[in-house]
Amino acid sequence: MVTILGRDIPNQLSELNIQQFEDITSIHAINELDAIEKHLKVFEVLGLNESDFEDTTIEQFKQYVKEFNNIKGKPVMQSTIELEGYNYTSFEGDEFKLSVRDTKHIEKVLNSKHKGYLSEMLAILFKRDDLTKTEHYDSAHIKHKAKMIRELKAELVVPYLVEIGQKLAKQMPKDEPAEVVE
Amino acid sequence: MNLPKSWNEIDLLQFKEIRELYSIEEVFAREIEILSALAGVSSDDLEDLDVSEVSTLLKDITFINSEPSKNYKHELDKWKLKPLSKLTCGEFIDLEYFFANDYVKHLGHIAAVMYRQHHTDQWGELIFEPYEFNPFDRYELFDEYCINDIYGIIPEYLSFREAFMDKYHLLFNEEEPDDDEDQPMTSEESKAQAEKKSAAKWGWERLIYSLCNEDLTKVKQVTDLPLVLTFNMLSMKKELNL
Repeated sequence: MVTILGRDIPNQLSELNIQQFEDITSIHAINELDAIEKHLKVFEVLGLNESDFEDTTIEQFKQYVKEFNNIKGKPVMQSTIELEGYNYTSFEGDEFKLSVRDTKHIEKVLNSKHKGYLSEMLAILFKRDDLTKTEHYDSAHIKHKAKMIRELKAELVVPYLVEIGQKLAKQMPKDEPAEVVE
Repeated sequence: MNLPKSWNEIDLLQFKEIRELYSIEEVFAREIEILSALAGVSSDDLEDLDVSEVSTLLKDITFINSEPSKNYKHELDKWKLKPLSKLTCGEFIDLEYFFANDYVKHLGHIAAVMYRQHHTDQWGELIFEPYEFNPFDRYELFDEYCINDIYGIIPEYLSFREAFMDKYHLLFNEEEPDDDEDQPMTSEESKAQAEKKSAAKWGWERLIYSLCNEDLTKVKQVTDLPLVLTFNMLSMKKELNL
């Protein structure tokens, strides 16, 4: 937690939930906003209104931002989670493997660019042990699971983001324009 | 998994299938569908694999991101490429239709118009079969030819077309109908625009109808006329205001 204007504000990945993390990443993706506007909106998501900062100097605001962005530790990848009494697994063994099927579904979610894309990505990866493939990829099931996942801590999603980003950057084909081959 | 290594191993039908898959928006999903089509396995079988396993296979088919060769063949078994300078008016009109309506999808139809049966007459002149067939009845005959042997007729025709349009620009540069619906128009302007739109819609039909002096029984005679002769005559008529 970080104290801003006398209030405890979550800033660590073990404190923010995934919904808050999604909101924050979405705000940072808005190109029309400058850095100060972005941070004001981030603080608003976490319960501090813009008007609360009316008497704050720019130096003090910068200090708040610096403290807020001071993220400690590196979260570990979790392969299982429990939701509403059911066990969900994302991979077996020590190494995270990304299947082609999951990648196709994740690519679709990422392309849709909606705010809840991180929780939906996790909903695709984490599979309920007692369900079939068809049931797992059913869009209503994915949406319902994503809604529950949104309440979990952000430390769950970050290692997956890093791992998937690296895998896709290394292994995905590039969408290059056609070249002429003689 | 047996994968083709270049366009040399892809026929026209496979090429069209691959190009149709380009409508899939997601890059990875598209590449998987193409891989599945080229390997002859269902995409379901590929989906159980790990991304790293599939990426090795995808590297083997990177040639699909390039264009096939432009060095087309002038002869394919009994078919010989008819020189573009010898096109008839009817052949040109049909080619224009196929090029305007997705030329990859219609590549077989285009080949059917351009590659023809032929013989040499008693004077040693090369005679091409008359255009008395429907390319829609023939396009499948080209499905199994290697795409590298045929694909080049597309840039070849496009280049011919550009030069042709340039040469006869006075006949083609009719004023485009204005689609700006926000602009208020008088009833005369509105009527004139509707007439222009209608004229654009029936462009080729109108031209043929006028060339055969509104006698439908002469349509075949007109469409069999050499393209260049027809457009030379049209240019003359326009220039002399005949």
